[in-house]
Amino acid sequence: MATPGILGRKIGMTQVFKEDGSVVPCTVIEAGPCRVLQVKVKDVSELPDGDQKALVNHGKRRGKHERQRRADGYYALQLGFVQRSGARTKKPDAEHCKAAGVADGGSYYFVREIRFDGLPEAKRGDDLTVAALEGIKKVDVTGTTKGRGWTGAIKRWNFSRQGMSHGTKKCHRHVGGTGRTYSTAKGVPKGKKSPGHYGVERVTIQGLEVVRIDAERNLLFVKGAIPGPPTGYVMIRKSIKLKG
Amino acid sequence: MDVIRKLENEQMKRDIPRFSVGDTVRVGYQIREGNKERIQYFQGTVIAVRGSGIRRTMKVRRIVAGEGVERTFPLHSPKLAEINVTSMGKVRRAKLYYLRTRVGKATRIKQIFGKTYDNGPADKGDAPSAEAS
Repeated sequence: MATPGILGRKIGMTQVFKEDGSVVPCTVIEAGPCRVLQVKVKDVSELPDGDQKALVNHGKRRGKHERQRRADGYYALQLGFVQRSGARTKKPDAEHCKAAGVADGGSYYFVREIRFDGLPEAKRGDDLTVAALEGIKKVDVTGTTKGRGWTGAIKRWNFSRQGMSHGTKKCHRHVGGTGRTYSTAKGVPKGKKSPGHYGVERVTIQGLEVVRIDAERNLLFVKGAIPGPPTGYVMIRKSIKLKG
Repeated sequence: MDVIRKLENEQMKRDIPRFSVGDTVRVGYQIREGNKERIQYFQGTVIAVRGSGIRRTMKVRRIVAGEGVERTFPLHSPKLAEINVTSMGKVRRAKLYYLRTRVGKATRIKQIFGKTYDNGPADKGDAPSAEAS
């Protein structure tokens, strides 16, 4: 089963000429290499032999005990992207990554799970590169949008502006009426769209066409825009809208 | 941003001749007619050059049958076959949009005679090669 996803970092946008002269707007993503930090499995028996037991620390008095490891209940690969030095790593992270063969107590800045339908082929400690996406036509890209701070309802919710003239008094970009009247007078409805913090949300753009895969330089070109600023971390997965 | 610049550089043409706004150019652009491909020529005045890197384009204006026609050519497009500078113009503006409001004789641009661009190897590494001297 081919790997349905990888982690990456947005580099920026450019354009690519197709052979027929048409221009494709592209986002360039530095995708991988990602280290497989953990393989999540449905059943304990699917874990590698050495991993079926876990060492549990019960404290000073009762000491350490081995016990059967619990299954995760689903299949996934936990991937790490962009290595962090040992000096910047917390100890639990370092131990976790050490099992995946990361040297000198290092860990990763960006760790995410990619779900699988069945048991993934990749093993802990493997490195995934962008070449794993070869043959995938469309991808979904998940990222964190740019922060826009406190934002009015026009930008945040696509409200309409009020008239600039015809007697509008200093409320050209205001929300407008919010309450209810008469028999349904219960004040402002819950969840009413209003100004507030906007951006820094997890957003997935579905069905982005894969334009080019540059395995040598770990670059992925997708058609169109993706969330977040350049250097923003993103998760790239095979599009769920793709059949098969 | 540097990676983007580098990627664009790889795709950019190295052999774009020098020209500048105000010049009269003859542009060959590959077009497709049914199954046949041929080069269509468009001659006119360069009224604007905009964009940088691979996004650089030029606008060429000419009068066809009394009607002003403007075409935008992406300089690095694989369909752009050739650019020939037929005459050099002397202008004091980067964008000659004022030509749109002019008709007839007033659309003429002062010409520079007896001079041509030094069209040696125009490649200057990552500098846009369409830059006029």
